[in-house]
Amino acid sequence: MAVCPVYTTQSLNSTCSISTPSKTHFSSHHNHLVFYRTSKRTSKRGGSSSCVITCSAGDSQTVVIGLAADSGCGKSTFMRRLTSVFGGAAEPPKGGNPDSNTLISDMTTVICLDDYHSLDRTGRKEKGVTALDPRANDFDLMYEQVKAIKSGIAVDKPIYNHVTGLLDPPELIKPPKILVIEGLHPMFDERVRDLLDFSIYLDISNEVKFAWKIQRDMAERGHSLESIKASIEARKPDFDAFIDPQKQYADAVIEVLPTQLIPDDNEGKVLRVRLIMKEGVEHFSPVYLFDEGSTISWIPCGRKLTCSYPGIKFSYGPDTYFGHEVSVLEMDGQFDRLDELIYVESHLSNLSTKFYGEVTQQMLKHADFPGSNNGTGLFQTIVGLKIRDLYEQITASKTAAPLQATKA
Amino acid sequence: MTINAMGGGAKYKGTQMRKKQLSEIIKKKVIEAKQVCEGDETSDECKVAWDEVEEVSQAKADLRLRLEVEKKDPLESFCLENPETEECKVNDD
Repeated sequence: MAVCPVYTTQSLNSTCSISTPSKTHFSSHHNHLVFYRTSKRTSKRGGSSSCVITCSAGDSQTVVIGLAADSGCGKSTFMRRLTSVFGGAAEPPKGGNPDSNTLISDMTTVICLDDYHSLDRTGRKEKGVTALDPRANDFDLMYEQVKAIKSGIAVDKPIYNHVTGLLDPPELIKPPKILVIEGLHPMFDERVRDLLDFSIYLDISNEVKFAWKIQRDMAERGHSLESIKASIEARKPDFDAFIDPQKQYADAVIEVLPTQLIPDDNEGKVLRVRLIMKEGVEHFSPVYLFDEGSTISWIPCGRKLTCSYPGIKFSYGPDTYFGHEVSVLEMDGQFDRLDELIYVESHLSNLSTKFYGEVTQQMLKHADFPGSNNGTGLFQTIVGLKIRDLYEQITASKTAAPLQATKA
Repeated sequence: MTINAMGGGAKYKGTQMRKKQLSEIIKKKVIEAKQVCEGDETSDECKVAWDEVEEVSQAKADLRLRLEVEKKDPLESFCLENPETEECKVNDD
């Protein structure tokens, strides 16, 4: 019989009693999940709470990151930059369903939350709900599976096929070092929110969204400016009601707006991007410019650096966001040359880089990705480095703390 | 065996067919949405119809991205195991 460290999961406020079930044996190689229900029902949203006693190998410490985005799943540029920071390319699971939304690299697994749709395309049509509506999603399953993976237990996760609109047979997800859950509702359910070690919300303004969707869809014969516009407008009420409110819970928000450097610009090519970073988040120290906590406005172009039109403008300062203290770093404009990028990097602090020029190197590695010449690429890369830093801090602190059995 | 880059990186017949299929679905769903919304633009049916358009448009864009930027056919690992199937015929046109 193997000895197994026993501990209860976090964020439960009911008392747990541990009793050995009669017919279970614990093998030293497997993780077992045993559910116990408490006698009192606590009325948290989602029903009764239960104690979970997990028996797992001591090194299963999956860090969970949530990313809220309305741009499809797993193949987004942000994900590719993020996985690249950790090294290795993220690939769909080999030999599995070719329509899987999952991406796996050495360190990270990216799960698309659309896989937790409770209604497929036909079902949603029948019920009259969009994919944005919480009623189309199984938050109980999302919570159970993310919690299981976080505790080191592999799960059979459903696959939502975006081409057929059907739910395909599940695929096995083994606990990675870093789990990223990406999609429309990573922070919608409170229980799932509590599992996240870090969360990001990608907030695209309407004008930029329109410009991006035009770029995405105009080559399609079925589309026109009108249809692209109509699609955005029709989804807006559900988006505003269900998706947008999540941004108040995010540790970092990347806000993408039209530029202020070009009057009346509506091409959406030059962007103003704001990185809104919550203060007081464990293992996360916001990036700053020159002097932490002060307010700075900076135009790097001048005598030392020549920029082409419309140039680059930075600002940094403290602010409040939905009642939280935040620091905001903002970039408006574009990088034209490598030396502009490295010049900017050398003036930013708290980047969590491992060597001077790492941000520039990461940006250059993916020079063909969208946003590589503006704040979207820059801030996505920086957030990637911050997540690496957070992961290393969490891992270091967990290895140091001895495992203890809980008292009943 | 040469890989024709003209098809936007679709190496296998199955993927080429999938691309065409998605374009057709997009066309169809846009027409459906316009029809459904004629009566009431704020109805649930109208919202759902345009959401479907968004879903398939994104699916097509993801496929395009995979093929053109990443240059990887999604059927690659499936076709290594099953080279004889219809969808794993290498694209010649």
